[in-house]
Amino acid sequence: MTAGEVQRAEEELLARARAGDREAFGDLVGRYQDTVYTLALRLVGPDLAADVAQEALLRAWRALPRFRGEAAFGTWLHRITVNSAWTLRKRARRQATEPLEGDFEDRGLPPERAGELAEVRAGLSRALAALTPGQRAVVVLRDVYGWSNAETARELGITEVTAKVRLHRARLRLRALLAGAR
Amino acid sequence: MRTPLCALAEWLPGEGPALLGAHRRICLRCQAGAARERVLRRALVGLADEQVPAPAGLHPRVLAGLGRQDAADPRRALVARAAARHAAAGGLAAATLLALVAGLARRHSRALG
Repeated sequence: MTAGEVQRAEEELLARARAGDREAFGDLVGRYQDTVYTLALRLVGPDLAADVAQEALLRAWRALPRFRGEAAFGTWLHRITVNSAWTLRKRARRQATEPLEGDFEDRGLPPERAGELAEVRAGLSRALAALTPGQRAVVVLRDVYGWSNAETARELGITEVTAKVRLHRARLRLRALLAGAR
Repeated sequence: MRTPLCALAEWLPGEGPALLGAHRRICLRCQAGAARERVLRRALVGLADEQVPAPAGLHPRVLAGLGRQDAADPRRALVARAAARHAAAGGLAAATLLALVAGLARRHSRALG
């Protein structure tokens, strides 16, 4: 299948899902669940990631008739995931059943990713986990996913200046954590 | 040696004042810090290629939880609620003002009469 055909197939699935076709939405979930789960994992850690991913995909289904295709479907899903992560994190903090600041790593990494690269990435994931949730969200959205300061600030409900300051502090902390881990 | 300018250059986000820019150009410590940051940012960008497989139960749980779709923009309800709140506050303020004016007018007419 060429890239164009994949794109057309996805547009067709989207059109059907927008019209209420659950099977088409199921196919879209199959295509995007790993992306959504990975972002959730980076934002909130493994304890909440599956719940965040589930909530994001359910919200996407509810809001799908309002999706106008102004952004790519993946980008739209990422925004919903960020919002869901924030909602669920707040709720979890209110209930305060478990600490959310503890160490976490990407437990779902496949075993074939052994070696130096995986080690560097695992170190980076551990360092990311040690940041505050606010710092982690900014650094993940800006540096990992390449969002602009304006987008990051808007989706997190903070000012651009706050986003820039948090990003700077997060990078400094990451550098210190990675230097300390060596 | 780490100078106060090094600390300030590290602490402040962005370029900062020209004095710090000049310091960064000549300070090997700050240049090493900037190089470490570039390495870090490259490593972070590399994480974008990585996808962690979602748990096996996610897909069926999502499909089992699908309810009704909602085409109505949720912001419209928020805007309507905010408008109603503002209208109520405005009405209350206008009524208070009217009562004050009426009271003053009555006192004024009593004083004249």
